[in-house]
Amino acid sequence: MLKTLLYINEDLASSIALRYTDYLNKFVKLSLFVTHVEEPDDKDKVGTGWVRRTWEDGVTSSGGRLIDRMLRTENIDCHLAGRPKVFVGDREREIVYELRSGSYKLFIQGYLNTSDSDGFFELVSSPLCTDAPCPVLVVKNLTISKKCVLLCGDSVDPGILVEKSMAVLGDSAFSFDIIFYKFREHENLQVLDRAEGGSTLNDVETLLADAGHNADKTTVLAGTPEQVGDYLKEYALVVSTLPTRKCMRMHVLANSLASVMFVR
Amino acid sequence: MKILVALDTQEYSRNILKEVARLARNTLADLVFLGIQEQGGKEPEARLAETLLRYRQDVCSYFDPDELPYGELVGPGFSAVKSGGWILATNGMKELTLRIAAGTSARQILAVAAESEADLVVMGCNCTLGCEWDGEMNVPLRIAKDAPCSVLVIKQPTRADKIVSILDQSVVSQDSLEIVNQLVTLHEAGLKIVGVKEKMAGSRMDGLERRMIELVRYYNEREVDAWVKMIHTRDVKEFVMNSSKTSIVALWLGKQSLLRKLFSLNMVDKLLENTGSSLLILR
Repeated sequence: MLKTLLYINEDLASSIALRYTDYLNKFVKLSLFVTHVEEPDDKDKVGTGWVRRTWEDGVTSSGGRLIDRMLRTENIDCHLAGRPKVFVGDREREIVYELRSGSYKLFIQGYLNTSDSDGFFELVSSPLCTDAPCPVLVVKNLTISKKCVLLCGDSVDPGILVEKSMAVLGDSAFSFDIIFYKFREHENLQVLDRAEGGSTLNDVETLLADAGHNADKTTVLAGTPEQVGDYLKEYALVVSTLPTRKCMRMHVLANSLASVMFVR
Repeated sequence: MKILVALDTQEYSRNILKEVARLARNTLADLVFLGIQEQGGKEPEARLAETLLRYRQDVCSYFDPDELPYGELVGPGFSAVKSGGWILATNGMKELTLRIAAGTSARQILAVAAESEADLVVMGCNCTLGCEWDGEMNVPLRIAKDAPCSVLVIKQPTRADKIVSILDQSVVSQDSLEIVNQLVTLHEAGLKIVGVKEKMAGSRMDGLERRMIELVRYYNEREVDAWVKMIHTRDVKEFVMNSSKTSIVALWLGKQSLLRKLFSLNMVDKLLENTGSSLLILR
């Protein structure tokens, strides 16, 4: 069982994330915990000592009720492994602390798919993604697909991509494809010769086979981030190493209709 | 469901019959085939009457004879109706009524859509000369703007790989949900549900988001792959124009819809000109 923490807020992104997690559980057996962080404004914070604790208890109860409402509305089959965890404070700091102290193997959160790459880059470069001790799965959409894809490019370390993703998905019932991405502005998405993927593509394929999974399909795609992002909708999950800058791979992931799991 | 199919004698009208038949078969719809002639008189124009009769046969031929819900013609020919025009009905489990009206196309189509309480108006249009229908310009456009129900303008009956449905309000009718579902099924396409918002940030779920969740649930339960995307109001025109090249765009244009203001007649005209397949206006 993969110890997993799912972040819940009362919004569309969380609603989709909850139901996606339920779907994921059919392929990867999850030991699921849910969490919510109440982030009060500075003006809301009151007093010290007993007064402060009483106020925090109130805020925590409110967060608990929010989680209850969402769980009741979505009515998922995947059982929770423990009581919901509600924290008060800075959302990212609290989650990273919980991920570390709880030795979680996967963190899941929803992200409302928009055409705004900057917003996605903010998420990718936030402490939540850069400091999390485990892979971060950003849920963008629901799916009925049974396929995952490992997305690689010139700047991707094949060892990290395969090793870290297999730590989560190695025992799953998903099938795997590999896509090597190259940026090219053209009217249509192009499939290039496999040799264009070079040693990176070969290494990812070999390492995946070593981990017990032969890739069903290996493709070198050339196109714009929008074209490739649209192509990725066929997949339940896109696995990528965490981009550290606004590279084209980051834009592909921002445009991906499928959910994205970052490993590092 | 009742589908009003506006037809003339041009090729683009004949080309939509297969899609009409598939839609009717999947929904077991009552059908009204409507032809418009310019001048009134005692009798309907023979050419138009013959064309409608042939269209009826064509649509029936797409059904398995054992499953055909439409019966034989009632009576020897068209008979005049009080409200104007002529009618030829069929018996059978479902109605397939042929109607001919006299007057301007848009006005007559809108009047029959209202009178027959149609849930959907389907029509083709000329794709070489902008938005022409039966020799008149902008007919599909005026129908799309003023019809009391949803409107499907089939410009080219090619298979689309995606239906992009765009909404900015929380009111969505059950019929329109089902129409989108049928298009997805007919085209074996994926469905992209795109919400349009003025303000993207916001910690609480608003009416649009709630509606989008319900839509995703509705389609997932029918095993339709539905992807959600949220875009800003300022990006909607460009987004719609780009999407319409390869996908069927479905615009939810309710009374309270901001999209209604954004998509002026000129915009919808451009959209119809731009689209590579069909445009669906949902109400």
